[in-house]
Amino acid sequence: MLQLLTVKKLVYRLIAALIVLAVVMVLCSLVGSQNISLKAAFSPSSQTGNINSDYEIFVHVRLSRIILAAIVGAALACSGVIFQALLRNPLADPYILGISSGAGLGAIIAVISGFSWTLWGRSPIAVFAFAGAIGTVWLVWSIGKVTGKSNVTGLLLAGVVVNAFFSAMIMFLTSIAKSSQVHATIFWLMGNMSEEKFEVLWFGGGITLAGIIALFYLSPQLNAISFGEKDAKSMGISTAKTQTIAFAIAASITAIAVSLSGLIGFVGLVIPHAIRLVFGPDHRQLLPLSAVFGAGFLVIADTLARIIVAPAQLPVGVVTAIIGGPFFLILLIKYTSKIGWAK
Amino acid sequence: MNKWSWLVLISACWFTVGFVMFDFNSAQNTQNTTLPNNVQRIVATAPNITEILFALGLEEKIVGVTIFSTFPPKAKEKPKIGTFWYPDIEAIIAAKPDLVVTSATEQQKTLGPRLERIGYYSLALKIKKIDDLFHAIDAIGSATAKQHQANLLIADIKENIARISNMVKNEKKIKVLYVVQRKPLRVAGRDTFINEMIEIAGGENAIGKTVQQYPPIGAEQIIISDVDVIIEPTMGQKNVAKLRDNAIEYWSRFKNISAVKNKRIYVVDDDTLSQLGPRVYEGIETIAHCLRPEVFGN
Repeated sequence: MLQLLTVKKLVYRLIAALIVLAVVMVLCSLVGSQNISLKAAFSPSSQTGNINSDYEIFVHVRLSRIILAAIVGAALACSGVIFQALLRNPLADPYILGISSGAGLGAIIAVISGFSWTLWGRSPIAVFAFAGAIGTVWLVWSIGKVTGKSNVTGLLLAGVVVNAFFSAMIMFLTSIAKSSQVHATIFWLMGNMSEEKFEVLWFGGGITLAGIIALFYLSPQLNAISFGEKDAKSMGISTAKTQTIAFAIAASITAIAVSLSGLIGFVGLVIPHAIRLVFGPDHRQLLPLSAVFGAGFLVIADTLARIIVAPAQLPVGVVTAIIGGPFFLILLIKYTSKIGWAK
Repeated sequence: MNKWSWLVLISACWFTVGFVMFDFNSAQNTQNTTLPNNVQRIVATAPNITEILFALGLEEKIVGVTIFSTFPPKAKEKPKIGTFWYPDIEAIIAAKPDLVVTSATEQQKTLGPRLERIGYYSLALKIKKIDDLFHAIDAIGSATAKQHQANLLIADIKENIARISNMVKNEKKIKVLYVVQRKPLRVAGRDTFINEMIEIAGGENAIGKTVQQYPPIGAEQIIISDVDVIIEPTMGQKNVAKLRDNAIEYWSRFKNISAVKNKRIYVVDDDTLSQLGPRVYEGIETIAHCLRPEVFGN
C-alpha cells in the first residue's frame, strides 16, 4: 500500500467496521429455526406460566450464541495475525503450533474419563481442552527455544511433530473408546457452538478483549519483526521479549476460544489474509480490523450453521470452510491482480 | 500511568464487575431436581424415547420428536426438534414443553443442564442395556402419571422375551457374528445390547471380550472363531435382496468358515436392532429367525 496509515483513517475504518459488525449481529439474532416476535419477547403479557418462550429463544439461545461466536471469531482471527507475523509464514494459523491436537487430546481424555464435575461452571471437556492447548504451546515453545532463539523453522517443525504425535494419540484413544464417546469427540473436533451462560461470555470476552488490546499495543514491534528479526533488532526492538509476550497472549486467547467452542478452522487463516489483501499489512490496522471482521465472519457462519438444515444443525467448522474458501479465493484473484503479490 | 497500566486497571474493573454481577454460588444450584406434576407437553430427543412415550399412551402430549423418529408412523406427524446428534434448542423451547426427556448418552450429556439453566424440566435416561430400558420405562411412567401402563408395558416386554428364550432354552449355542461395518470389519462386541439380544435368541457372540464396544477385527480372527451365522444389519437401506447378494459375495472369500459353507449369511432390517425400545423382543425374534429358521420359521 502506498498510502500511509494515519490515525484518523484507522479510527474511521475501525468505527465503520464496528458498525458493520453490530448490524450483522442484530440481523443474525433475528433469524433462526423458529419464528419469534421481538414484541412478544419483551412484553410481559406473552408469558405463559412463568415462561416466555420468545424471550428465552431470543436472549438465552440466540444472543448468547451470537456473542460467543463473535468472541471466538475475534480471538482466532487475531491470533492468526500474530502467528503469521511471528513465524513469518503465510500458512500459519492459530493451530499451527499444536494447539488443536493438544486441545483435542484434552477433550477426548475428558470424554473417556467420564468426569462430571464443573469448574467455575465449565465442563471437564472445556477445562481439559484449555489445559491441553496451553500445555502443548508451552511444550512446543520450549522445544523451539532449544533449537535456537532466532530460528522459526525449529519452532514450526516442533509444532508439526507435536501435532502429529498428539493426533496419533487422539486416534489411538478414539479407536479404543466407546462409540458414543467417539461421536461426542468428533463433534467437538468439528467445532461445537452452543449457547453459553452470560457469566462465561463476560469473562471469556473480557480476557479476549484485553488480549487483543495488548496485542494492538505490540503492533509497531510486530511490523518490524515481520520484516525480519535482524532488521527489527537493528531498529532497537527487543525481539525476544516481544515475541514471547505476543506468543503467550495469542496462545492464551486461542486456548480460551478452543475451550469455548471446540476446533473451528479457517477463521484464523483466512481473515488475516483477507484484511491484509484489502487494507494492507500494517499491524496497527490489521489486528483490530481482523478482530472485528473475524467476529462478523464467525457470527454469519454460525447463523448459517443454525438455519441451513433447520431444525437440525451443521458443525460451524463446515460452514466456515465452505463459505470462507470461495470468498477468500475471489479476494485473492481480485486484489493480487490489482496490486501484485510482492507489491 | 502508561497504556499497560490502564489495560490492567480496566481489566481488573471488568472482572470485579463480573464477580459482583453474577452470583456464582447461586448459579451452581439452579438445576431442578424435582419433576413437575401434571405433565402436559413432552419433548423426546431420541427415537426410542418417542416409542416409549407412544407405547405408554402419551401420544396426545408429545409436542416434539427428532427428525428420524419414524415409529410408530404417527410419530412422523409430530413437530421436529432437530436430530438426536444435533437437537435444536430453539425448536425445543418453541414447543413450550413442561418436560424434555433426553438420552443420558455422551451426545446429549449437556442438553439437560442447558435446558434446566433456562428453567425447563428435563429427564435424562440411560438406555444402554435391556435392564436400562425397563428402568427408563418406569421413570417415564412415574414422571407422567402412567405408572400402571408402564408396569403393563414392562411385563409385556419381559413376557415376550421369556417366550423366545424358552423356545431355545435347551438348544446348543450358535456362534454369531453381528457385522456393523465391512471396511474395516467391525462387529458388535460383548458389551452391547446386541450381545444381550443374541444370547436371549440362543446364540453366542463369536467374538470374546474386547476393549471396544464395536471392535474392528482381522480376517484371522474370523477364520479361527469358525462362525456359524453371520448377520448384517441393513443400516436403514431398503433393498435387502441386493444387500444380501452383496454380502454373500463378500463373505465368499472366507470359504472355510461354517457360516459360508452352510450359506448362513443374513441381512436384516435393523429398525428394531439399532435402538433399544419397546419393540426389543421383535429385534430378538429377528435374530432368532436367523439362528434357528427351523424353530422360528423363515
